Amino acid sequence: MASRFWTQGGSDSEEESSDYEDDVENEGVETTTQTAGSRYLQANASDSDDSDGQKRVVRSAKDKRFEEMAATVDQMKNAMKINDWVSLQESFDKINKQLDKVMRVTEAEKVPTLYIKALVMLEDFLNQAMANKEAKKKMSSSNAKALNSMKQKLKKNNKQYEDLINKYRENPESEEVKDEDEESEEEEEDEDEEFEEDPDNIRAGSGSDNDDDDDGEEAEDTNDSGWVRQTGRRDKSIDKQFKNPSEITWENVNKKFKEVVAARGRKGTGRFEQVEQLTFLMKVAKTPAQKLEILFSLISAQFDVNPGLSGHMPINVWKKCVVNMLIVLDILTQYPNIVVNDMVEPDENETQKAADYNGTIRVWGNLVAFVERIDVEFFKSLQSIDPHTREYVERLRDEPMFLVLAQDVQEYLEQAGEFKAASKVALRRVELIYYKPQEVYDAMRKLAEQTDEGDDGEKAIEEESRGPSAFISVPELVPRKPTFPENSRTMMDMLVSLIYKYGDERTKARAMLCDIYHHALLDEFSTARDLLLMSHLQDNVQQMDVLSQILFNRAMAQLGLCAFRVGLVAEGHSCLSELYSGGKVKELLAQGISQSRYHEKTPEQERLERRRQMPYHMHINLELLEAVHLICAMLLEVPNMAANTHGAKSKVISKTFRRLLEVSERQTFTGPPENVRDHVMAATRALTKGDFQKAFDVINSLDVWRLLRNRESVLEMLKAKIKEEALRTYLFTFTSSYDSLSLDQLTKMFDLSEVQTHSIVSKMMINEELHASWDQPTHCIIFHDVEHSRLQALAFQLTEKLSILAESNERAMESRTGGGLDLSLRRRDQDYAAGTGAMGGKWQDNLSYNQGRQGRSGFTGGGGRSLALGQAGGYSRGQLRGSGGYSGRAAAARGSQMDGSNRMVSLNKGVRV
Amino acid sequence: MATYDLTQRIAPNLDRHLVFPLLEFLQERQMYPDEQILKSKIELLNKTNMVDYAMDIHKSLYHTEDVPQDMVERRVEVVARLKALEERAAPIVSFLQNPNSFQDLRANDQHYNLQMLHDRYQIGPDQIEALYQYAKFQFECGNYSGAADYLYQYRALCTNSERRLSALWGKMAAEILMQNWDIALEELNQLKEKVDDPKSFTSPLNQMQSRIWLMHWSLFIFFNHDNGRTLIIDLFNQDKYLNAIQTNAPHLLRYLATAFIVNKRRRPQFKDFIKVIQQEQNSYKDPITEFLACVYVNYDFDGAQKKMKECEEVSFIQTILVILNDPFLGKRVEDSNFATVPLRDEFLENARLFIFETYCRIHQRIDMAVLAEKLNLNYEEAQRWIVNLIRNSKLDAKIDAKSGTVIMEPTHPNVYEQLIDHTKGLSGRTYKLVGQLLEHAQTQAAR
Repeated sequence: MASRFWTQGGSDSEEESSDYEDDVENEGVETTTQTAGSRYLQANASDSDDSDGQKRVVRSAKDKRFEEMAATVDQMKNAMKINDWVSLQESFDKINKQLDKVMRVTEAEKVPTLYIKALVMLEDFLNQAMANKEAKKKMSSSNAKALNSMKQKLKKNNKQYEDLINKYRENPESEEVKDEDEESEEEEEDEDEEFEEDPDNIRAGSGSDNDDDDDGEEAEDTNDSGWVRQTGRRDKSIDKQFKNPSEITWENVNKKFKEVVAARGRKGTGRFEQVEQLTFLMKVAKTPAQKLEILFSLISAQFDVNPGLSGHMPINVWKKCVVNMLIVLDILTQYPNIVVNDMVEPDENETQKAADYNGTIRVWGNLVAFVERIDVEFFKSLQSIDPHTREYVERLRDEPMFLVLAQDVQEYLEQAGEFKAASKVALRRVELIYYKPQEVYDAMRKLAEQTDEGDDGEKAIEEESRGPSAFISVPELVPRKPTFPENSRTMMDMLVSLIYKYGDERTKARAMLCDIYHHALLDEFSTARDLLLMSHLQDNVQQMDVLSQILFNRAMAQLGLCAFRVGLVAEGHSCLSELYSGGKVKELLAQGISQSRYHEKTPEQERLERRRQMPYHMHINLELLEAVHLICAMLLEVPNMAANTHGAKSKVISKTFRRLLEVSERQTFTGPPENVRDHVMAATRALTKGDFQKAFDVINSLDVWRLLRNRESVLEMLKAKIKEEALRTYLFTFTSSYDSLSLDQLTKMFDLSEVQTHSIVSKMMINEELHASWDQPTHCIIFHDVEHSRLQALAFQLTEKLSILAESNERAMESRTGGGLDLSLRRRDQDYAAGTGAMGGKWQDNLSYNQGRQGRSGFTGGGGRSLALGQAGGYSRGQLRGSGGYSGRAAAARGSQMDGSNRMVSLNKGVRV
Repeated sequence: MATYDLTQRIAPNLDRHLVFPLLEFLQERQMYPDEQILKSKIELLNKTNMVDYAMDIHKSLYHTEDVPQDMVERRVEVVARLKALEERAAPIVSFLQNPNSFQDLRANDQHYNLQMLHDRYQIGPDQIEALYQYAKFQFECGNYSGAADYLYQYRALCTNSERRLSALWGKMAAEILMQNWDIALEELNQLKEKVDDPKSFTSPLNQMQSRIWLMHWSLFIFFNHDNGRTLIIDLFNQDKYLNAIQTNAPHLLRYLATAFIVNKRRRPQFKDFIKVIQQEQNSYKDPITEFLACVYVNYDFDGAQKKMKECEEVSFIQTILVILNDPFLGKRVEDSNFATVPLRDEFLENARLFIFETYCRIHQRIDMAVLAEKLNLNYEEAQRWIVNLIRNSKLDAKIDAKSGTVIMEPTHPNVYEQLIDHTKGLSGRTYKLVGQLLEHAQTQAAR
């Protein structure tokens, strides 16, 4: 509104008020002098003004509409004179259309008098024409037809305005005010204020029969000259209302409120203005219930301020919105008999019941929806603010504010016994906390305590400025300060347990994912893993919405990082490999949009995707993630490759890693490593030769490690792992060159303790990876020469492939027939098969724990036989019968991209035990 | 000393009366101060009706002859209630005690029985309910045999499935407390059927809880019954039960682990079990599971040997301490005055075998002295032990007396044999698959 004002009226702003009056006068002149040529005038209104030598008039949309209407009325008059019903009918339609526009512009409920006048005129003329039967007969056929249809239309139309017409007939003030009707509204409002300033209007003001109802009507003024004026006037009217607060009754506040609300969403309604109007109304509300009702509308209006889906709410409005919500809560706590509900349409006059009314008062509203919306707006604002600016940081500081609100709402809802709603709010809180490590959480807590002190001061001032304006003043009952437990974990536990108890499916699933994420963040891998597997989230993540899928991916990524930090390489790899198999990590984690070469996205998709993005501060560092993933893959894959030198295509652990390795091997020159990938590749080259020190040095030089909290210990662990795998690789590669090898030498070579070396080598022997045995007295490894000949090796490969074939056949059969108990019989031990056999095919039912455990056993069985069913695509998914917890779960966010070919990212790297 | 005592974790899953033997055992082993145990005994008895016994304990605890007033009052109350219940249950009790009328009941026809009782003896559901209450009261009073009898008969007459279930529990507890292991085992099997029946529980959580109870109660039976050590594996190692253990009662792993060690013929399941132990390492750990982890997960023979060595030093060793101090594992056989713990010896022997077996698999030549040390035996004993093994053809090895070493025969399966093995299974599987397919096709065609 302000800008509109500036662009249009900026040049003569100092003459503001006089301009306005001129305007009024001119209009009066114009409209009265308008004659048949009005069309021309209409089109060239400004020109003619200029040529008349008048001052250039800035005319508002409203004025224009009125002019148009007046012109139409004149046309009608002309038509009447010549008894031309056809054109009269046209004009009538036109005036009705114009009426709509006028109403929209003025936002008034009341129909302009001009229009009523025209109606009355028409009616009279019609009656006259109908009475005159002879004239009627003489009419041309088209004219008569038009007359008849006119009669019907008018009858129908006039019914709507019956009251007004009657009123007008009783009191045809029109003679006096004549064509100045359109100003009547302003005049009415301005009444005595305008009295002195606007002598022209005296007549009109006194003539109009306005009543008390219109007292507050100034607010609806959207005259564009009015923004500054308007506020001024409002202040005045506020003053006025203070002078005689007794004049304000529940009825007129309510009426005004209804008007303002009705204007919501109409074209030309100033959003900010509406907010201000409502704020004012809120202050003058007579009963707490009414105040509440207005507050709800006010909050809705504040949401409306944000124009589109993509933009976010202005921050100051957001803050005010939060404050308003707190006031709502204040009211609700103070008057526990007020019930907020969005299910029933409350009685019209429900809010009339005063504060001392004893029964329950129902007010329409939905607290949870408001809280969620506020959160969404907060999220959106963080999405769109550039994360590298100060603004972003400032915005982040508002988080505690929201947390307070959510906490209060939750408490209120819990008291009210609406646990389901409370759990939704709790989820919002969880989602703000789950990604924060303890340090960040502490920082937030400190911030919340600090800012609150500052805020208190501010608020006090604000309170003063608001002064005694509010009729219903509510003490600040709800705490404005968030109470955070010392430990983020305790907070999470508290919230999450509430959600598990009362939440609906989606809320629970999301809370569970947040819980997992948070556990993983705190390095509690086993807890997080158990939660994940027991909840069966993996099984139905496909059916969830995209946002939940993103959350799932985030949780998985964090779980992978956690596994790595605690030294569980195989687990870490199985968590992360899914994310990396499609090469769309950014999209899967909603941390940026990657450009796909083969697939153009429609703008629509792109916008959707943009809306899903995580704000910067919630990102999981992608470099770290990639480093961890590749290192895990390296640690698993290098010895694996060394062990299977014979065309070991069938035993690929990480396809991604293999591909990268191939690419890097194809390079003619290998330069010094630059990015994460290069580093890991360089380390891989060193590791293949058994040079653990170099491998470690290369990886150590990555600078992502500084992101880790317990960097030292993680690197220590990493070093130990690298040594171990180097030893294994070395043994695999060079067994054929040795007949015996002493333990001492090995320990020296790989800088391991004797016990460790012994344990590692023993493990290899037991697993029959290494054909050798210890010679205990001399501490030597004696290698047995059981190297298979090429023919034998190929024969083994053949049998292995055959067994894969047989297995996939069985699986195909199983999926076809649905039963396949026979297979589970073979895979499981007898007891279990008996158990499932009894259940028939529906083994998932009732056996929730069962499945969890199986998944678990699959999960830790990490290094077992991994049959390369990855190539089999999506086909083997799901039929694994719980053999591998991490199997067959294509990464989520699937629905987001319509990328057909890559959609079945089937991850059968899972383990069959 | 009491680090590995599980009583606190077990007790919540037992009936009050079942906790009693545990406390007795603890008292006997002098693990806790007497006073503490007596106090907890009184606490235990407070909720039961064994007031007299509680009074006795009170006396011995405070060395007085006075008994607190509330106990006396409670006694009066209990006696009165007993009288009342006895009266109410009198008709049915007299009916049941009369062998002639008892024959009127038909074994498999409950409706008939009820009808008959109602018509001929005027015994309605009220009386039957009274029987249940009476039996329960008897149990509370410590009269287990009476309770067991009544409950047995009640079950024949009861129609309410929930009541039947609790009658089963009660019967089993009574049998356990009377140390009728065979009957208790029968009850256990019945109860197990009920517990596994998905229809009898509304939520999986309830079912799991019942399983955990069942497992706890069954400990009494399994470690006292002759065949118990095999049965315990059968029960606990079922997936459903293993789940329950992992989710809510990881301490039961100790008993399962012991059973596995003592039982030699359970190899296939044993491997899976090792995985479970590995997973649960962070939630439950005690010397027994650690021992298994040492041998089978980390191949840390020195660690295992340490545990074993400690075992040999009779008492103050962890592993054995656990065994001796655990009420179930340390059940003494008290015939003659010579108190031995049979389970302990068996455990040691088998643990030794475990280590040796694994050790031999990865060695070609072992110094006898070292071996003896690892097995916690002296040289002579070790030699004798190994000779025995070789003689029983459990071990494919020879002793080189000159250098004092054992030499293993390298065992490498023939490549061709391996290949044949692999493919044999395949043809069987394929054959079966075809069979299935045909069957399926036929049923389809039939439709």
